[in-house]
Amino acid sequence: MSEQFMGKPDPQAQNTLLAQWLYGLLANKAQATTEGPLPVGEDVSFPGQGYHAAFYPQIPNFALALLRQSPNVITRYAPLFFHLLGCPVCHRAYLETYDALRTALADNTRPTTTTLRLSTTAGLATTSPKLLVFLCQLLIGQARTILRQAHREHSDEDAWARTLIQQAMQISRYLMQGTLRQRALRDLVEVASLAQPAQPEVPPTPPMLSYSLLVGAGSGARGRSAIRRADMAARPNEQVSIDLRAGSLEGNITQENDTLILRLVDLAADLRGHSLIISVPLGTLLEPVRWRGGNPYAIRSTGPVASDGTLTTPLGSTDLHLNEPIDRNLVETLFKKLDVRAAEE
Amino acid sequence: MPFSARDLRYHIEDSYPALCTYLQNRAQRYLGKLSFDAFEVDQVVGHVIEYLMRIQLLGGGQQAAPTALDELSDAQFYTFLNRMVQNKAIDRLRRRRLPMNTTGELEEQGNPDDENDPLNAMVEPLWGDIPFANPEDAALEAASQEQLRFILKKCIEALNVAPRQLQAIMQELTDLGASELVNEVRADLSAEQAEAPLPHLSQHKDHAHKKLRLCLQKNSTNLAVMVAIRLTEYGVQSGQTGDITVLLQTLTQTDLSLREVQTGLQHLAQAGLLDWHGEENVSISPAQQKGLTRFYEDE
Repeated sequence: MSEQFMGKPDPQAQNTLLAQWLYGLLANKAQATTEGPLPVGEDVSFPGQGYHAAFYPQIPNFALALLRQSPNVITRYAPLFFHLLGCPVCHRAYLETYDALRTALADNTRPTTTTLRLSTTAGLATTSPKLLVFLCQLLIGQARTILRQAHREHSDEDAWARTLIQQAMQISRYLMQGTLRQRALRDLVEVASLAQPAQPEVPPTPPMLSYSLLVGAGSGARGRSAIRRADMAARPNEQVSIDLRAGSLEGNITQENDTLILRLVDLAADLRGHSLIISVPLGTLLEPVRWRGGNPYAIRSTGPVASDGTLTTPLGSTDLHLNEPIDRNLVETLFKKLDVRAAEE
Repeated sequence: MPFSARDLRYHIEDSYPALCTYLQNRAQRYLGKLSFDAFEVDQVVGHVIEYLMRIQLLGGGQQAAPTALDELSDAQFYTFLNRMVQNKAIDRLRRRRLPMNTTGELEEQGNPDDENDPLNAMVEPLWGDIPFANPEDAALEAASQEQLRFILKKCIEALNVAPRQLQAIMQELTDLGASELVNEVRADLSAEQAEAPLPHLSQHKDHAHKKLRLCLQKNSTNLAVMVAIRLTEYGVQSGQTGDITVLLQTLTQTDLSLREVQTGLQHLAQAGLLDWHGEENVSISPAQQKGLTRFYEDE
């Protein structure tokens, strides 16, 4: 208990004692050291323990009600009020909000001259990649928080979480560096799977192979990929691919007209001669691809795996063009994960 | 390109670049000597972006509940953001300055840079005149304000289902000298003062504390209190039985949503104070009226 409180004169001694007890009851010792801000440039998609999604969003309304001296404001916001006693993170946010709102309300005639100085060409393509990564991670982290809270409260916020995830995917396409995009969407697959409850169209069996997206410059295929992208403008007719890998196995996705073609190589002997079921777990999150068969969780290959272990099959069609970097980035995000199962004959 | 709170909520792709530009511009202005330190600028900008995300405004769309910021005019919203940036910048300046200077150095620094030092713009301490500027103030309000104290009492009484935990809390409050509250709880529960000492006292107390923390921060508790008051205030006599009825819409007034009223009614029904199963008209018998009055009356 601070000296400020201990020294405060209070005619109601009993209330003071009760207040001390209440403060001791609610103050969360684990949060005694307040968390700093989430740092731009570091991975932030896992909100800290100090973020309480049930209370934090109410803070501006509570502060405004106090400023307007609304009747019964404390009673109306009693749960938040009790929470603020014990949560230094939310209490700090309350102080900041109250101060900024008070200034804003007192200053409502001030002209917005500052907006005139903003660049009229500001767009996501020219925004600092660091701030884009930060935003994508915050959006995905927020989706995770909302889903967890909904789980605790037995409510359904899947649609909201999906909207946040979709926004992160859309914004990430403006990140031209693959490693940055990978970082921005680091937890995408995990959080998206939380937002997609078990559906009948999802195959019940575990996948035999699980391909991941291969991104970034470096050696081998990754280097080739980067070179291709840098040369896209100069050689627009060159076929661009999205590279996939599952362990030592490789695959890629190319585009022929508006059709996306999957090509897998070196598939195991027991898969040869069999058709495959392809699952694109993120396929339902965005609409630009019209998946073959209509269900991205179960796309049946048009033919069996060849005797040399190769499979080439269309996945769907799209108006996006892999030759366009921004389009390609979005399509690439959809294929962060691709699962393969043997089809039942 | 100017942007509004609405743009940030519904059109994040279009408005985020302008938000970043605006925040960076403001941050550089308020960071003074640190304005060319990219890390510090990022800290300030990131703090405000994170705040807008956490209050569920940024990219919140129609799914996130409206906030007070949605009500601000564009000019007010800019002023709000500007102030948030200013406060964070001052916070960063203080963090960087305090560990690096002795008091003497700080005094010496005063002369040449006085006009350019953003810290000088703050005449008063950052949070000095804000209600409940520290949690202890809020605790005193909670212990003194009638309805908050009432919620506390109801949460203590809810421990009745675990008599040893209730006894542990009553013992703690008695030792504290909060005899008035203890007597009120005893009267409500018609409970006798336990004479035998309680074994494993601290264990029961810990469990009770956890339950109290949850109860106090649970929305249904305070909604039940507000709805109980309104039921008796706005009830209309219906027939000769003494029953009163109230429409759900009447209970919302201007500050509660229908869902919140329903939550409060469910809480009261679970406490056995009402027979309500989702009807539009809430009907209350004379006996229930007494119970409700007793539920919220403090004295």
